[in-house]
Amino acid sequence: MRVLRSVFRRKMRALLTIFGITIGVLALVVMGSIAEKLSLLVDGGSDYYADKVIVSGTSGIGGFSTEPITTSLIDEIERVDGVARAAGSVMMLLDPEPSAVSMGVVANIQASDFRELGYETFDSDVVDGRALEPDDRGVAVIGADLVSKLDAEVGGTVEVRGREFEVIGILGKTLTAPDMAVQIPLADAQEILVADLPAAVRDTVEKDTLITSIAVYLEEGEDPDEMATVIGQEVDDVSVMGPAGFETSVKEPLKIFNQIIYAIAVVSLLVGGLSVINTMTMSVAERTREIGVRKAIGATDGAIMRQFIAESAVMGVIGGLLGLALGALVGIAGNQAGAQSATELFLLTPRLALGSVTFAIVLGVASGLYPARHAARLNPVQALRYE
Amino acid sequence: MEPIVRVDEVTKRYRLGKQNYVDALRGASLEVAPGEMVAIMGPSGSGKSTLMHIAGCLDAPDTGEVWLSGRRVDGLRGRDLARLRGREVGFIFQGFNLVPTMSALENVALAAEYAGASRRSASIVAHTLLESVGLGDRMRHLPSELSGGQQQRVAIARALVNDPSIVMGDEPTGDLDTATSDEIVTLLRRVNREKGTTFIIVTHNPEVAAACDRTVHMRDGVVDGQVLAVGVYPA
Repeated sequence: MRVLRSVFRRKMRALLTIFGITIGVLALVVMGSIAEKLSLLVDGGSDYYADKVIVSGTSGIGGFSTEPITTSLIDEIERVDGVARAAGSVMMLLDPEPSAVSMGVVANIQASDFRELGYETFDSDVVDGRALEPDDRGVAVIGADLVSKLDAEVGGTVEVRGREFEVIGILGKTLTAPDMAVQIPLADAQEILVADLPAAVRDTVEKDTLITSIAVYLEEGEDPDEMATVIGQEVDDVSVMGPAGFETSVKEPLKIFNQIIYAIAVVSLLVGGLSVINTMTMSVAERTREIGVRKAIGATDGAIMRQFIAESAVMGVIGGLLGLALGALVGIAGNQAGAQSATELFLLTPRLALGSVTFAIVLGVASGLYPARHAARLNPVQALRYE
Repeated sequence: MEPIVRVDEVTKRYRLGKQNYVDALRGASLEVAPGEMVAIMGPSGSGKSTLMHIAGCLDAPDTGEVWLSGRRVDGLRGRDLARLRGREVGFIFQGFNLVPTMSALENVALAAEYAGASRRSASIVAHTLLESVGLGDRMRHLPSELSGGQQQRVAIARALVNDPSIVMGDEPTGDLDTATSDEIVTLLRRVNREKGTTFIIVTHNPEVAAACDRTVHMRDGVVDGQVLAVGVYPA
């Protein structure tokens, strides 16, 4: 209470200083929420790609390709020593012309030949309805983030690439790629894939042999990165990616992106810290006489130091909590606004919330150190004479 | 009797710039007996405030000896001086110098807290003292809500809260009108008589000096004369 009264002795100045911290923490929370969202997304990817090799067409970047390849490759890959299973799947963009700017995973269509059953360990739970089964046609299971964009509910229908699908299931939120996927039967996906091809080649392909990627599951003890090299040598005209490929093509760039995001936020918070130093220095100067009096009535240097550090710490606490609250609101509002277009940008994790406020408090204390030390070292006689 | 304060041949030089300095004290000596009430008078710059600061452990001398309650204190620094100030010495200032954001009660309790009392026990002692200086109904008021005389009473209570053996007054009536000034001097005299607290009071006001047991005159950084008061105030 006493500390608060001292801080708010100059209300306007205290508020402006606190807002400086608030804006810094706000930036940290909002930017950090984006970074956290992307990190979780990519962590999910790391889990998925950790134990397998992905084979796709040669135009693929980092294992993601919509260029068709044929199912004959599945047999070819399964003949390679060390391969336990190869499963084909089709992946396409949900919207053939996605908006130019997108963060994270773009909404997509996924279909698989079910050969991964018993090999795939990455789980996405169906929270409503049921999962796809091999003989299904014309049905869809919807990823969590696409529910409101597609206006999907179990028993209803959704339109995918101009075709009607009955919704039979909704996926639980995974915070990674499946949230943005519409799962449909392979045969339906192959029809769409063929329709996407240029008219000239459309008639020359057998549509039920077309896939876009193959997930390769390995024998126990095989190193997926070494196997990626082996498969690349033995199978022609494909792009092969192991876990290391995912790291370099996705994780590393994201790490740099996240570092830039955090750096911007931290800089804005440091500016807030400078304004605390400024305010505390002014406050010490204005209260020189009070400091002299406090010393005259028995305050030790340590007591004076603690008093002023407490005041700057309080500004850090208030600014930090305000910034966190505002940042959380921005995140919630942003996600709500983005729900219709399935762009959930923000994820405020507990560690980010705790980290932001802690950083603000540490910054408050650190910014108070110099002015507080100056105050503590004032000569009491000179301080008492100060007008 | 052993003096409570003994200042012996003390010098103090204040540096104002590189080559510029002031010799505030040039070998000042003073002895004050326990329970005595001493006034220090003298023109501005004669060193009376400096003498009081040094006797009150607020400042350390360059040379000479300072004894307080039988203990030599001139070599002490920082923390030790702060502790002595908190427990052995009380200060009253011309401008009252209360902390503006704290109530009367908190101002008085603050000095007890600095001396190590818990917030609760400090508050209890402060309560008692404010009642004894006639401010029982003003404890929750901020300094800005009190008159000058009332503020100085708060400052007196603050100076007494750790039951010090000596209280230093730096022109304690300097900002008060004559009637209020009389009240304050009467209060100090009463404390002196009832508790046996020793007072050293720097003043320009002859009436304040006359109320003390003895007046010390200073000039050019030395004590140059002493006058014993003869019953101007009722004993």
